Amino acid sequence: MQTFLQYTILGLALGGAYFIAASGLVVTYTTSGIFNFAQGAIAMLAVFTYWQFRWGWGWPAPLALLMVLGILAPLLGAVLYQVVMKNLRGTSEVTKIIVSIGVMLGLQALATWVWNPTSSTPRQFQKFFGPKAFAHVGSLTIPWHIIISFGIAIAIAFGIRFLFVRTRSGVAMRAVVDDPELLQLNGGRPERLAMISWAGGSFLAALAGILIQPMIGSAMSAGALTLLVIDAFAAAMFGRLRSLPRTFMGALIIGLTTTYVVAYFPSKWTWSSAFHNSLPMIFLFIVLLVLPQDRLRGATVLRLRERFRMPSIRTAWIAGLTMMIVVFCLKVIMAKTGVNTLTLALTFAIIALSLVLLTGFAGEINLAALSFGAIAVMVVYHFGISGTGDGARTTLWGILLAAVVTALVGALIALPALRLRGLYLALATMAFGVFVSRMVLTERNERELFGWKFTIFTAGQLTIPRPKIGPIDFNSQDAFLFLCAGLFVVIGIGMVYLRHSGYGRRLTAMKDSPAASATLGMSVVRLKLSIFMMSAAIAGIGGVMMAAQVGTVNADRFDIFLSLALMMITVVGGIGYVSGALFAGIFLIAFIEALNLLLKKFAVDYSTLEAIFMFFISAVTVLPATIGITMGKNPSGAVSDIVDGMNLVKQSKPLMITVIGLEAVIWALTATEVITNWNFVVLTLANLILVPMVGGKLLMARAMRGVPKPVPPELIGIDRPFTDEDLAAMDHALNLESVVIPSSTTVREEPANASA
Amino acid sequence: MSEAHYHEDHGAVAGAPLVELVDVRAAYGTIEVLHGINLSVPQGSVVALLGPNGAGKSTILKVVSGLLQPTSGEVRLAGRVVNGASADELARIGLCTIPEGRGVFPNLTVRENLWMATMAGVSLAEVEEIAYARFPRLGERRKQLAGTMSGGEQQMLSMARALSVNPSVLLLDELSMGLAPLVVANLYEIVAQVSQEGVSILVSEQFARTVLGIAQYAAIVLHGNITRVGTPAELEDELSAAYLGS
Repeated sequence: MQTFLQYTILGLALGGAYFIAASGLVVTYTTSGIFNFAQGAIAMLAVFTYWQFRWGWGWPAPLALLMVLGILAPLLGAVLYQVVMKNLRGTSEVTKIIVSIGVMLGLQALATWVWNPTSSTPRQFQKFFGPKAFAHVGSLTIPWHIIISFGIAIAIAFGIRFLFVRTRSGVAMRAVVDDPELLQLNGGRPERLAMISWAGGSFLAALAGILIQPMIGSAMSAGALTLLVIDAFAAAMFGRLRSLPRTFMGALIIGLTTTYVVAYFPSKWTWSSAFHNSLPMIFLFIVLLVLPQDRLRGATVLRLRERFRMPSIRTAWIAGLTMMIVVFCLKVIMAKTGVNTLTLALTFAIIALSLVLLTGFAGEINLAALSFGAIAVMVVYHFGISGTGDGARTTLWGILLAAVVTALVGALIALPALRLRGLYLALATMAFGVFVSRMVLTERNERELFGWKFTIFTAGQLTIPRPKIGPIDFNSQDAFLFLCAGLFVVIGIGMVYLRHSGYGRRLTAMKDSPAASATLGMSVVRLKLSIFMMSAAIAGIGGVMMAAQVGTVNADRFDIFLSLALMMITVVGGIGYVSGALFAGIFLIAFIEALNLLLKKFAVDYSTLEAIFMFFISAVTVLPATIGITMGKNPSGAVSDIVDGMNLVKQSKPLMITVIGLEAVIWALTATEVITNWNFVVLTLANLILVPMVGGKLLMARAMRGVPKPVPPELIGIDRPFTDEDLAAMDHALNLESVVIPSSTTVREEPANASA
Repeated sequence: MSEAHYHEDHGAVAGAPLVELVDVRAAYGTIEVLHGINLSVPQGSVVALLGPNGAGKSTILKVVSGLLQPTSGEVRLAGRVVNGASADELARIGLCTIPEGRGVFPNLTVRENLWMATMAGVSLAEVEEIAYARFPRLGERRKQLAGTMSGGEQQMLSMARALSVNPSVLLLDELSMGLAPLVVANLYEIVAQVSQEGVSILVSEQFARTVLGIAQYAAIVLHGNITRVGTPAELEDELSAAYLGS
């Protein structure tokens, strides 16, 4: 009984802290419509900052609390809103999710940069009034920290309720979600309210972090604290991101279950610690399963800022062929490490293709692409390898089986969220990703079930050999490079075909308006399920290729943060395009790697400036996140901009010949080792960027006179007004006699005939 | 452009204008939808904007209310140029807009909806008193979510705001949309009553008959231009032409 009470109180306190974090989510979501994935990262940053003040610099607790909770946390929230989140009105759910994930990754990289996790002295975070401050209630001994936590949670619950119901500003915050424009017409300031709510949400996150960290008791870890947010997600979901009382209930249930599992599960079950860590994920999953179906929506997504043009099938073939040639040319001049990096980048690009298919084509979101890769790798490891030692090869059947299994797992994961909006599917996949990391990839020991002995993630690392398909052995690095490049091209072209098919059009229709699709008689659920399975299978194949490139993979290779970064960079590259996936793979693996190498080389070459270059090396870790955050400004992706820039080259034959010719010369010089690879990179960049720029200037005069950039027909009326030529062309296409639409001047003179 | 000259252009409209649009152009993205609007609302009068779907009536109201900034031209309120002022600033200095559709917050209760109206500077008690006196139905339902009420009741709620904030200018967009004729007649009675208190009213309507009964002036909007301004009597013929294209 004593134990039960003790653990119940602990569970209530933990639940209380979860509630505080969750209420912050509800507050920001309620006022700005943005689900803040960075909530956990803000909590994490607050914990580290508080530690710095309190124990790093030895400030007294009240001063450190005032500084973190009173000033820094609200400031961070307000700045986040003003600089980043404000720009997200009118963007799709994907962009909103990606930007807040960018913030999350950025804060995490920042914390790792400032507070080096490998530093020798472990950082200890203590309870309020120290570890020995206990209150004695009856026969129970309870740490004051626990009592304080629960007390604060209750105070916050009542405080927020009071704010939202009894104060005009609070009611106005709710009004912002309903209709910001109408609130403005009432004389309210929606932007200011949203900013205040972000400051409040950030404060709540920081408070939750400072309360939870000593309860967990382990060493401070940026990753673990950031993922704490999922526990809060689950609680917030319980209240459907609206109801605070239900969020409170959900948080308490999670807190209590977690502590009861710790208390009562036999310690001989080696998986019970992994289980208690995964509980919030399981809980989130169950909540998603029982949430009532969302209203199908159509009208609100009409005016999105994202636009993707569909490449023609011919373009796809040309691009694929070009890519194979470029890969070949690069292989000839590259060092072995370069070829390795390029291959790895291509395997990631294949995984990113799964995201393009799912998000770009169908508007659904998967935040755990690499976890599907992990599933596939496990299948291949157990069932898809023939031969041993150096002769071991991954079989084609193994890869196909892995694809089928990942597709089925994908279906299982997507099933609960299919009836719900994209955000919920994103959360379900993220929960799945963390679940895989915490529960599946930690299954290193042999288990026995009904007499069948097996291990899931054997010894914590799996060795995946290169594949052998039919008579062709892809064991050599070069052969494997071409396999990956070929696979990317084949899947990519296949996706363009798919996009042009009736199925692809149905996907686009569903993305634009699920409601309209449903009324046309399409089965939205079946469509979503099939696309999710297909996407999971591609992620699986990519994962297997990635493992085969690396050789031996451990759990870190499938980290949820890597999945998130890949998703984010794919969106940056252009989630609607196959080229966006290529961009993601190249950027995330090859570009970052090259940038690091270059900076390290500089640091060695110019040792007096070493400190500056080391700073930039750290800055590179924050770079992807920074780029992700800027998505709000250009939601259609970077690649489309680059392609638009290249259009000039495409339109002018002399320019194209110049660029290609110069590139051939540069390549030939490198291949004959007249110039080094570094020079090749620099010259190539100069050639691709400067020549079109200079050439563009020269051609500008002609461009001014000549044809404006063509607008695809579906965007006429959006990108530019209809002209008389457009109307004539339409009339012609529809076989109509030309209808004369009166221009504004004729209307003025003859109003009576205007609408004739 | 002198004021006298301006009035000559539009013959019919006289009296000191409270709201004035001078050569206003406005666009959604790159598409211009208002091609130089000149219009004035004399103090204490009701001016109706008439015209078919997509003519630009709602856009004119959006420009006046501050929700859409004009690309060129001037918007004047009591003689002062208010281009660039945000909708909430204008709302706080006495411009009341009832937007198209129901101007209510569906997830707020009736009382909370009225509370939002107090941002223009009146007390909640005052707003509630006026609202419930005029629409007893609202008083019975003060704790009900606005989104669960009927269309007519929702429109009453938004009209209650217009009545109680004591505005100097009232902008009404498609008041009649989706409502039963009896309800519409009722609502326009209130508009007339507000007008008699000296409030200047600019109202857009697709269905002209109801509003012409209370409007002093009407402007016909077609393809983003004002093609005619005059008293309802003067416009009788052109109206039918504008709608039916005789």
